[in-house]
Amino acid sequence: MIFPTTTFAVFFCIVLVASWLLMPRPRLWRLFIISASFVFYADWDWKFVFLLGFSIFFNQAVGLAIHRLRAQSQRKLVLTIGLIGNLGVLGYFKYYDFFVSSGHNLLQSVGLGFPLGTRQIVLPVGISFFTFMAISYIMDIYRRELEPVSLTKFGAYLSFFPHLVAGPIVRGSELLPQLEEPRDPRRVDTSRAFYLIGTGLFKKVVIANYLATHIVDQVFGAPVQHSSLEMWIGVYAYAVQIYADFSGYTDMAIGLALLLGFKFPQNFDSPYTAVSIQDFWRRWHMTLSRWLRDYVYIPFGGNRKGEPRTYLNLLATMLLGGLWHGAAWSFVIWGGMHGGWLAIGRFRRERGLASDAVTGWKLWRKRIVTFHLVCFAWIFFRAGSENGLSTAWDVIKRLFDNWGAASPAVTSGVVLWIVVGIATQYLPARIPQTIMARFSEARVAVQVVVLALVLMASHTMGPQGVAPFIYFRF
Amino acid sequence: METRPRSRSSRRNREDRVPSGPLAGTDNGAGGRGPRRRLHPAGQAIVVGIGALLLGALLNARGLHKTAQSMNPSWKRDLGLALAKPLQTVSDDTGLDYPRRGLQALLGRSSDDDIVSQIVLPPPPPPPPVSPPVKKHHHKPPVHHRTTPPPPPVAPPPKKPAFSPHHPLRVYIGGDSLIIVPGESMLRAMGSKVYKPLDSVDGHVSTGLERPDVFNWFDRIRQVMKKDKPNVVIVAFGANDDHSYMTGLPKGVSIGDFGSPAWIKEYRRRVGGFMDTVIGNGGFVIYLGMPIVSSPSESHDFDLINKILYQEAKKRPKGALYVDTWFQFADPKTGGYAEYLPNKNGDLVKVRSNDGVHFEPAGGDIIARLVLKALNQRYDLTSWKKHTASG
Repeated sequence: MIFPTTTFAVFFCIVLVASWLLMPRPRLWRLFIISASFVFYADWDWKFVFLLGFSIFFNQAVGLAIHRLRAQSQRKLVLTIGLIGNLGVLGYFKYYDFFVSSGHNLLQSVGLGFPLGTRQIVLPVGISFFTFMAISYIMDIYRRELEPVSLTKFGAYLSFFPHLVAGPIVRGSELLPQLEEPRDPRRVDTSRAFYLIGTGLFKKVVIANYLATHIVDQVFGAPVQHSSLEMWIGVYAYAVQIYADFSGYTDMAIGLALLLGFKFPQNFDSPYTAVSIQDFWRRWHMTLSRWLRDYVYIPFGGNRKGEPRTYLNLLATMLLGGLWHGAAWSFVIWGGMHGGWLAIGRFRRERGLASDAVTGWKLWRKRIVTFHLVCFAWIFFRAGSENGLSTAWDVIKRLFDNWGAASPAVTSGVVLWIVVGIATQYLPARIPQTIMARFSEARVAVQVVVLALVLMASHTMGPQGVAPFIYFRF
Repeated sequence: METRPRSRSSRRNREDRVPSGPLAGTDNGAGGRGPRRRLHPAGQAIVVGIGALLLGALLNARGLHKTAQSMNPSWKRDLGLALAKPLQTVSDDTGLDYPRRGLQALLGRSSDDDIVSQIVLPPPPPPPPVSPPVKKHHHKPPVHHRTTPPPPPVAPPPKKPAFSPHHPLRVYIGGDSLIIVPGESMLRAMGSKVYKPLDSVDGHVSTGLERPDVFNWFDRIRQVMKKDKPNVVIVAFGANDDHSYMTGLPKGVSIGDFGSPAWIKEYRRRVGGFMDTVIGNGGFVIYLGMPIVSSPSESHDFDLINKILYQEAKKRPKGALYVDTWFQFADPKTGGYAEYLPNKNGDLVKVRSNDGVHFEPAGGDIIARLVLKALNQRYDLTSWKKHTASG
């Protein structure tokens, strides 16, 4: 079940009404929301519901054990078991075939056989997201930053359907306190919720899908058939497509949660206005960035073990971040590029050679350079799986070697949505705030009409059918 | 300065506003300081949400009807149609469909909501002419005495149609989702000299020959042949055609269950008609068979469809070719489905996507090689190089 479908709309209307009716009875509400979330998840494949159920029981048991044990060594042992359990399940579903094939090919090159064979493993949707949330829960308990909650509260936290399949990655300290007591039914931030749902829908259904079908899939599918101009525009289009797709999804997720009375953390903050790669990661998939910082970079030693180790930690963290996105070397290279650029940026800042606090043309120069570095790395990200590296190389070559050829894929519609996708990130924050404030003051009938028109426009302007969200496969 | 006592409602409104500032930060540039917004009761959220969905459904009634119509037969489709039809009636009667129609006209997509299920196929080719019976000569043919028997006449190999960069082979690639990745591999492999692909891969997800109301491939190929005049049409259909349901049936025809004689007859008519449309317009059709898939029952269905494709192509040897992909993607040891296959170096490469049906680019490359080999057997695509070199 994906958000911009009639099936989900019916499902959500039922859940919205029932949720507020049951809200005064928290235990019953939690059981209801877990059931609803399982129904939502089962729509993909009912068998994976058992995996989600296992994750809830396993991590709750680990969390309780860590909390009850006194001896640090025992706590650490249980945490290690918890991490192995979580990463083992994630690794099996997501990386088993990748490592087996890579191992086979490595040993094959030196004339040896590999003992394991590949399996046809179907990746459960959203497994990376709920596994990361579960890890944050048990690690926060280990660090004594969080106390374990009841099984139903933890179950509601982990399976809550708005964030279940593609985030944002909500930490226990953010959502669990909201599950402690009923949400106030008199104070719902409806205008922000509807604004996020409306803009998220438009971004995904219209902008992302348009760019995907009109240029991105073509130029990345067969780079040799396209001109250099098409390739440049195609790369920019992909940058806008992935932003509109993913931020559109999380906007909808945050808006839906708000209608149910819950606040999720921000996940995007105008990432293409970033002035450095470090700044980009403060604005792009923010909940993953801070997860990597708190549960990978800092445990690696962060910046506490000297300068060389700091650079190494940055690189290692981003390599793992790349691998998290997919079991392919092109994702690892994408992560490695970002890790390398982060390390270089830090090196330059440490020596006073660079600063994010700039104005005027220097500011724009930094923005343009950062945007192009990000776009360059997106080439590897989009190139994806097995043939990813050769596809990426074809794209990079074609950026330069076929100028002057006809460029039928570069249409006014494509250019328009790229410009819209980037320019809206430069809108002053006051504009959306004003729209939301005006909407909140409008009469109910006006709100209904405005929202209905947004729904109609998105449905009419988008291509027929709704493509899955890019981040579902991560 | 005059002060007025605040009313209860204004006090309530003030209290029910979200504070501005960092804690009020919202997403994607919507955060920061700005005018305050009112909070509302949950009941209003429900009313606005459901009201907007209902009004939106009326504004979009035609689109919803088409969406419901396009679904595979199921209770969901029946329910969708049962709800969408009255919605469309209300929408049409009240003029609520005007905004959508206006927007579609503005975008040049006025036909988006049309449902065309009629199939127009060329008349079946006439049966081969029956040659008159040869009269038996009772007298002996004259005998010429020769010292050595003449060599048997050797028919010169038929001259292959030649293409060059000046006269490129025009290629159209289209079909359901299974054509997309192999089609892109073909485009990559074809390069940009002797082949002239017509635009990008014309792949339409969840379509086939079974449901012209979802996407009418018969109309589409007729338009392509008329407008673009491709020499070669490379297509893949069938993966969405394994159902006991078809639209666009001739009057009085029912098809029964998938695989029944009536179903096979009708599907055969469509496949053959599609091929004849291409051939009748001067094109050559390469029909890709479906690969083995991870689901045994689906593999069984695909096998049946492949037989029809193979037989229909065989009936038209001058105008159609069936390219088998089944065995290319079967495990060399077990003959079953394989997600990874060894390449020519023996390295394992992922050739199928996680859904157990579609192809990874490496899988697409395997199909592209088969298709290019077939094209090279049929056409002379290389002699222009000799002329260029000698010239």
